[in-house]
Amino acid sequence: MQFTVKQKRSPLEKRENIIAFLFILLPIIGFCVFTIGSMAFTFVFSFTSFNKLTGEITPLKNGLFENYKTLFTSVSHSKFFIGSIKNTVILLLSIPLSMMMGLITAGLLKLGEVKGAKIFQILYYVPTVSSAVALNIVWRYIFNDEFGIINTVLGLDIHWLGGGTGNGKYLRSAIIIKNSINGIGSAMIMYLAGMLNVPKDYYEAADIDGASKFRQFFSITLPLITPMTFYLLITGLIGGLQSYADSQVFAAGNSNAQTIVHFIWSRGIGGSAKNGYGLAASASILLATAIMIITVIQFKFSDKWVYEE
Amino acid sequence: MENNEMIALNVTPKSKQVDREKAIRTVIRVITYVMLTIGAIILVFPYLWMVLTSFKTQPESISLTLKLFPEKFVTAAYSELWAKVPFLSGVKNTLIIEFSVIIVGTFVSTMAAFSFAKLKLRHKNFWLLFLMSGMMVPYAALMLPQYRAFQALNMTNTLWPLILPGFFGNISMMFFLIQYMKGISNSFFEAAKIDGASEMKQFLVIMLPLVKTAIAAQVIFWFIGIWNDFFAPEIYLDDKEKMTLQPLLQRINTDNSGGGNYPVIMAGAVLASIPMMVIYITCQKFFIESLAISGVKG
Repeated sequence: MQFTVKQKRSPLEKRENIIAFLFILLPIIGFCVFTIGSMAFTFVFSFTSFNKLTGEITPLKNGLFENYKTLFTSVSHSKFFIGSIKNTVILLLSIPLSMMMGLITAGLLKLGEVKGAKIFQILYYVPTVSSAVALNIVWRYIFNDEFGIINTVLGLDIHWLGGGTGNGKYLRSAIIIKNSINGIGSAMIMYLAGMLNVPKDYYEAADIDGASKFRQFFSITLPLITPMTFYLLITGLIGGLQSYADSQVFAAGNSNAQTIVHFIWSRGIGGSAKNGYGLAASASILLATAIMIITVIQFKFSDKWVYEE
Repeated sequence: MENNEMIALNVTPKSKQVDREKAIRTVIRVITYVMLTIGAIILVFPYLWMVLTSFKTQPESISLTLKLFPEKFVTAAYSELWAKVPFLSGVKNTLIIEFSVIIVGTFVSTMAAFSFAKLKLRHKNFWLLFLMSGMMVPYAALMLPQYRAFQALNMTNTLWPLILPGFFGNISMMFFLIQYMKGISNSFFEAAKIDGASEMKQFLVIMLPLVKTAIAAQVIFWFIGIWNDFFAPEIYLDDKEKMTLQPLLQRINTDNSGGGNYPVIMAGAVLASIPMMVIYITCQKFFIESLAISGVKG
């Protein structure tokens, strides 16, 4: 039989509890104010009409969910909001592309027993530590409709940025190309790290069985690094849903490449739409919900979907 | 299938088999080098292009015939940038945020990590989960009320909205340090406790020196993150003199791209990105290692 004796905490222990709490107090305050507090306000404002010029708050006239409805149904706003969802989702395509290329380069580095592998790692990772603004500016110049190096070298006449013609149907393609290339390095580094975790004796056993290196890559390495694939996919997804600089800098605000976050910014902070603030608040609540669901899925299922020892 | 392969391998004379393997290896290696080099050229080209363009003349930068190198290296773009844009104040503003946020924020995050890793904290798991749940909230869902609040406090167009939140620590840094500190033996702290050392003393005298390399790695990450930060500074800062580097660079971009003054834009991009490049290359060991650690655990 087991007795659970409720032990009284000794004064010394109590003292340590208090000090331990004081040590984490500032992050907790910061979290309450800047995250929970802000989130709560965003939530409340998504159910009101707030005029950001006059500071007037008025209740909504057509039901509590008017802002949410407006986002999807009004003639003047839904086009842009639904468009921004579409754009954001299309731009996510660069994530699997750069993951695939990152995996190939990581695999090549491993299989080829390359000398100077380190130099390649360093070079490939450079875009990840560079300023998104600087990168976007250069790529904008590279993709320029008239004198961009892509058009001049390849002899193309594609209006990537939609400058002269006023539309930008190739903007998204340009962004996907740019982001796929710039994302190779971080995917490669993560895959290489994941490959370090694969036990060496698996390869030794496969060597003895006479399995080729390619075979080993597909039958051992690939299944064993699924946790990394999963991790890269989820973090890429979460980051991609929050993309802003591509719209603001690369697309210069062109609605053909406006992302959700850029939409939120343009209604809630920039711009002068009368009901913009409430609309932006609703849109950001929807975005936050989507991201939270993805994160929870990751927590819940990461041990089921992927190999772990 | 597998058996047949094995038999086939066994039947082949040993030397021939070795030759074949060697040949395959060489082929793989050549393919690898070629592909990796092509990839590296594509990845590095934008930076090269940025630097080369910044030394061109304006007409040269929008010429329709491709010239990789400038006819004559001119620094006109840099002097024009210097004369027209408060670039130094951009550097200064960025560094003010960097140092204040990183010094205070690192101390706060490290102290909290120490509490989570080594002290008897009640409801430890709850608080950890509580703080970590914030990592899944996108900034876009927080910026609207924060902007209004800082506006009400007359703090827009100042550096405060970018500094204040940083004083409360950085959750991902804290999480990383908790993992790292858990690996440090408890015996250090038990001995100190017996000697009557306070928690603060245990933290400052024992823990800090033991984790300083881990902190350094995180600080470098954070430094680069703040340097490259664009969204929040772009929202809050309106005047060029008040701006940090990234919104300033974007302003240089929008001011000059209409007139096609690309050398000036690229000169700005070079100056705003080269310092981080230097830090990255000198500290790249930290990057790859701590990425590997945090990535695999995350």
